[in-house]
Order: sequence, then structure tokens, then C-alpha cells
Amino acid sequence: MLGEPSAEAAGRADRTGRALLGVHELSVAYAGAVQALRGVSLEVPERGILAVLGANGAGKTTLLRAVSGTLAGQGGAVTGGTIELEDRSLLGLDPARIARAGVVQVPEGRRVFSNLTVAENLRAGGLAARDKGARERARSWVHELFPILAERATQRAGLLSGGEQQMLAIGRALMAGPRVLLLDEPSLGLAPRVVEQIGEVVREINRQGVTVVLVEQNAAMALAVADRAVVLEVGRVSLAGSSRELADNPEVRDRYLGGGSEAAPRSRRAPARGEELVVDGVSVRFGGVAALSDVSFTVAPGSTHALIGPNGAGKSTCLNVLSGVYGASAGSVRYGGRELRGLRPHRVAALGVSRTFQNISLSPTATVLDNLLLARHRLMRAGFVSDGLRLPGARRERARHEDRVREIAALIGLEPALDRGVRTLSYGSRKRVELARALCAEPGLVLLDEPVAGMTREESAAMADGIAAARGELGISALVVEHDMAFVMGIADRVTVLDFGRRIADGTPADVQRDPEVRRAYLGGEA
Amino acid sequence: MNQFVTLLVGGVLLGAIYALVALGFVTIFRATGVFNFAQGSVLLLGAYVIGRLHDSIGFWPAAGAGIIVAALASLLIDALLIRRIRRADLGTLAILTLGVDILLLTELTRRIGTDVVSIGAPWGSDVVELAGIRVPASRVIAGGVALVLVAALAVAVKVTDWGVAMRSAAEDGETASLMGIRLNRVAAGAWALAGAFAAVAGLFLTSFPAAGVTAGVGIVALAAIPAVVLGGFDSPEGSVVGGLVIGVVSVLCAGYQDELSFLGRGIGTVAPFVVMLLVLLVRPSGLFGTREVTRV
Repeated sequence: MLGEPSAEAAGRADRTGRALLGVHELSVAYAGAVQALRGVSLEVPERGILAVLGANGAGKTTLLRAVSGTLAGQGGAVTGGTIELEDRSLLGLDPARIARAGVVQVPEGRRVFSNLTVAENLRAGGLAARDKGARERARSWVHELFPILAERATQRAGLLSGGEQQMLAIGRALMAGPRVLLLDEPSLGLAPRVVEQIGEVVREINRQGVTVVLVEQNAAMALAVADRAVVLEVGRVSLAGSSRELADNPEVRDRYLGGGSEAAPRSRRAPARGEELVVDGVSVRFGGVAALSDVSFTVAPGSTHALIGPNGAGKSTCLNVLSGVYGASAGSVRYGGRELRGLRPHRVAALGVSRTFQNISLSPTATVLDNLLLARHRLMRAGFVSDGLRLPGARRERARHEDRVREIAALIGLEPALDRGVRTLSYGSRKRVELARALCAEPGLVLLDEPVAGMTREESAAMADGIAAARGELGISALVVEHDMAFVMGIADRVTVLDFGRRIADGTPADVQRDPEVRRAYLGGEA
Repeated sequence: MNQFVTLLVGGVLLGAIYALVALGFVTIFRATGVFNFAQGSVLLLGAYVIGRLHDSIGFWPAAGAGIIVAALASLLIDALLIRRIRRADLGTLAILTLGVDILLLTELTRRIGTDVVSIGAPWGSDVVELAGIRVPASRVIAGGVALVLVAALAVAVKVTDWGVAMRSAAEDGETASLMGIRLNRVAAGAWALAGAFAAVAGLFLTSFPAAGVTAGVGIVALAAIPAVVLGGFDSPEGSVVGGLVIGVVSVLCAGYQDELSFLGRGIGTVAPFVVMLLVLLVRPSGLFGTREVTRV
């Protein structure tokens, strides 16, 4: 059954019902050339939950886009195969028709209408519903599933926390009265406790008779929720079977579930180049809201320090204060004795503190090498005239910097990709380019904002290796904001936990994991 | 002082007409992301139809016909040209509308020739006196009509299903379509509405004190562009405020032309653009525009 499945084996309808959604030998290409799906077949039985797993770039989102009719916007097209809802072909229909036929997608990254209120978002979802009665029933069901959406009805959706936005995105899709709900990475960037909630909600929605296709990076959650699962690899179904079978499959365990410790501590440790970062009593207020109150922690030179906590706890705010994007209203941030508070971002960077971003912020059309050279800017002397004229001094300087960039790229495992355009890289590789760019500025401290969000075990292990290598070879310290607990526990020397802008715990990973307060606020029941 | 108040009131009323045109630009821009340069010629088309028809079928039916023709013309630009290449670069789409504008304007200019076609409005060249200020009746009516239309649109956008669909599509078209919202319909509604608003504006821009429907009216509508820009491109409130500001500034500058003669003749025509540039220097996204916010 496992291993080399035939098309029939892939998620074949079982006793519970016939196939409601059938995908047969589906092929998709982007820009007429890049083959993203190569003959994918799967069936989703009525009232079933099918999980779709796979690495970034394996074709999961492409599969959902093909079903929901939104390939064209990305320059993609179905080049072969069929997609059928019962006996009706969905191929060639526009997204609104498909939604009205009962196949509704919750897009990746939530994408709530942030300027509309919560109630208006739900209403927008309900515009496709058959009649007023259906809309009203859907609305009361959504409010029952997510009471918070009723409480916040008049608030602008953009002001909700990440978890609430995900609930709104799911609620909005339910308003359309779907028969098949397509969920694209609902757990992305959410705290473990919220991920647990989302998993329960998906099961509850399914109990009410909605068929679910769940695309997830969080394989543990997906397999716990789904009855059946398929694994996509380079555009093909590589494994298919019941969730239990897949969860027991050694290959799946290795690549997607992860056994335990990753990023084995490196034997080699370069002398610490970073200096001590002392965050002391920092508070930040936005209007009347306290985003951070009296937060203190210390990042020791050459150590990896993790900052964790629920969505909206103030982690990103904290990074933004450290890198000079936001000003703190009280407290001090000292890096090696220098006060960072009140400095503009470029001044902070000049002191040797560089960062990566939660949403990848690279120049997509430039090559990896050029993106990395950009980070050398502060270290280069040649002006644009001498550089533009290619004077010998400028050429020598450029060559010297290129050599250093190549060294750092090799450390992060990016060397083969140096001459490729960033646009052509997979998501996981782009995140590593961000890390490499931060390192190319020769910092003493890097701030990493969710470096492994949306990555498979395998990719996040590559990232962990990169960070460990940076620490080992370059001797820099790192402050990491991340939700992926396996990752955090694997690389962090020390962990600070925030909740509602306050520090609720600070200690070694093991201490923090046992802390009852942290379990309640963040990790959830059995985490 | 009296002159100032007269000019101010005149400016506000002219600004109300600009606001209608500007609102058309903004509605299309929000729904489809296209900056529709053909708005001016559609405006002229509406006025031209009214001017040609009112003798035979009477003013009110002619006005209705003009509005419908302009709405249809606008809708056709979307359905026949824009819709097929919706995903094209926005610059390309804007240039396409510029081409449509030139075609339509050339044909209308050819038809109008050197004639001055009267719009045939029943209020003719009446002048009303408001608290000691003499204002053309057509401008007073224009102000009232603009107020009603703007308010009606604001309410419709806020509370109706159409409005919710429109705002969702404006914010994130792909997600809206995933929720079953038909983007082509939303777009068609926006284009038709913009055409109708343009025709109403055209009707008043060609009424007294203007001479009538001349080929130059299509150009006058371009004065609404600084209104759109300084209002912030994607904000209906901004387009109304922008329209009023531009109306007041251009009327004041024209009225005090002699005092401002050191700036050269015709400063009234340039003034809207000067105001626009000044506003953009202080607020690069316009008065009410969505600022490009990047979360880091």
C-alpha cells in the first residue's frame, strides 16, 4: 500500500462514502514551463478529512489553487487531468463559480479583509450563500464555533491577533456554506495552544458534515485530525494511506514529524564575537495599549536566546524595539554598553545588530549573491562613482567582499544557489538567504523573526544547522522568535516567554517547558 | 469681502462637480486597480448625448439617456478591453484607457465641430440670490445633486451587499473570489457607476455659466485628477474633499487673477496642480490615501 502507490491507492474512497472531490492525473505548469504537479490523483470521500503533506515547493498550494481555480493569477495552468466535484468538472471555472458550487478555500496566510469589520468579513463570506435563511444559520454556527467573533463583531479585522484572524478566515469560508472546505496551512505562525484549538475546530466542522482538505506543514496536527493523508513530493503523490499508517511510516516520521533533538550541538565554538545584550524594563505603548510592559532579559555573548509566547504577546514588537523600528516608552536596551534605545534602524545595524524578517523581505528579481552583497553595504568604502567606473580599488574591494559572501553562503549551505534569482528559490531556501544576508553584515548579534515558520522538519533542520554553524564558526549570538517548539528546544541556550506583553518565564529550555504558567498560556495541554 | 464669499461659494459648488468626477476615478480604481483616463471623454459623451437629444425628446428623458449611454460606454470599456487583460500591468491598463480617451474624444470633437451645443437645462441661465450672494441656479442644483449622490454612494458602500462585495474585492480580489464574490460583476458595477457620475458632472459642467457642450469640456474633467491624487487615490472621502479643495482653489485663483498677475495669466488652471504638489510634499499618500504599510 505504501511506497509506490498507484493512482487508485491514493486516498481511495472507503466505506464511509463515495468520493465527493476527485482529482485525477492532474498536471499543472507555471509560465508554460515549470512543472509544479505531475499527474496527481486523489479522492476525498464525502465527510472525510484528507491531509496533504509535503515540503515547501512540493506542490501543495498549487494543488489547492488548481481546485479553487486561482492558478491563473499566478501564471499557472492545468496542463492535464481532471478535477471533479461529484460528477461535475471544476476545470476552467472561475473561482467564484467554484466557491458557489460548494468548494471554498481558506487561503494561506489567512488574508482577512483587514479594513472591514469582523461582521463585514463574515458577511462577505456569506454573499455566495443560497438564501437569507442559509446565511443566518451559517452565522449562528460560526458564532457558536468561535464566540470571539461575535464579541469582536464591530472591530476591524486587521486588529485581531493571528489566531483570531485564522478563526475569522475559517468562519468567513463557512459562511458560504461549503460542501468541501480547503484549508491552506491554518496553523502557520500560530502558537501551539492555538494550533490545538484550530485542530479541534476542524474536526468539529467535519462532524457537521463538511468535507475537509487540509494542507499542513504541521504534520503532527494534520495527521491527528485527518482520516487519510497523502504526501506530495516534487509534484507527485509519493505516499498515501490512512493517517495512522502514515504516522507510523518511518520516512514520514523522519521527514515530517521529527523524532527529538535536532541540530546536534556543534563541537566547535569560535570565540564569541557578540557582546552582551541587556534588555532592561522595556515598555512600549501603542495609543492606550501596552504592547510590552517592563520586559527584561539578557542575551549572553555567543549564545542563542529564544523569545516565545502566544500570538500578540509582543515578540515582534520586542524585536522591532531592539532593531530601532519602534521606540520604547520606558526602559533601556544596552548592547555591549551602548544604549540602543532611541537609535534609528541604520545606526543599530552599524553597531553590529542585524535581523531577518517574519515575512521574507528580499529583492526577488536580484540574484542571491546581489542580495547578500547588499548587506555588505555598510562595510564597503567605494562610492558609486568609483564603483560605477570600475576603478581598480573598487573592483578589488568588491572581489574581497564577494569572497567573504561566498564563505558565509557556504556556511549556510547556499553556495550552489548564489547565482540564481531569489524568485526561483523555494520558500525554505529564501528564509536561509535572509539569514545569510543578516550574517553578511558581520553582526555580533542577529535577530531572527520566525525563521522556520511554515517549514517542514527537514527544512527547519537545515535552518537550525545554519544557525548553529553561524554561532560555531562566527561566534555571534542570536535572538530567535519562533513558535516551533521542537526547533526552539533544539537550538536555544535560554528561553524567555512573553504573554500579554509581560515576561512570564525565563530560564533554560527544560525549565521553561515544565513551567505551569507557560503550559497554560502557550504550550497547551500535552505539548 | 463680498467678492471673496461669492468666489468661495462658487468654488465649493464647482468643487462638488469635480468631486463627482473624482469619485468615479476612485470607484474604478478601488474595484479594478485601473486609473481610467477615459473618464473625461465619457463625461463629454454623456453631455453630448443630452445636448443632441433634448430638443427632440425633452430635457429629462435626454438627461436619463445621456447618463445611461455614459454608464454603458464606461461598462463596455471594462467588458471589451480591460476584462480580457485584467492581470496586465497597471501601467499598461492606464495607457489603454488613455488610448480609448483619445479615440472617443476625437470622434466627439469631430461631431461637435465648432458648434456649441446647448445642454437645454430648464434652469437655463437663472441666477439665485443666497444671503446676498448671486450664484447660478445650475451650480446650486449641482451642489445639491452631488451631495445626494455622494451620500447615497457612501451609504450603499457601507451597508449593502454590493458595498461589502465591493470593499472586499478592493482589498483582496483573489480572496474575495474564493468567497464566491464575482469580481467581473463588481468591476462592471464600478465602471457603470463611474460613467453615470461622469455624465451627471458633464451635465452641470456644460450648463450655465459654461457656454454649452464644447470639445473642451473633456479636458476640464482632467481638473478632477489633482483632486483624486491629493485625496489619496483610493479614498472616496478623499476624492470629495479633494474635489472641493480644487474647486475652491481654482475659482479663487481665477477670481483674484488681477491681484495674482505677478504669477502670470491663467494661474487658475495651474493652481490645482500646485496644490496637489504641495499636499504630496507633506503627505505623500494624499490626504486620505491608504499608506503603504509594511509590517516588519
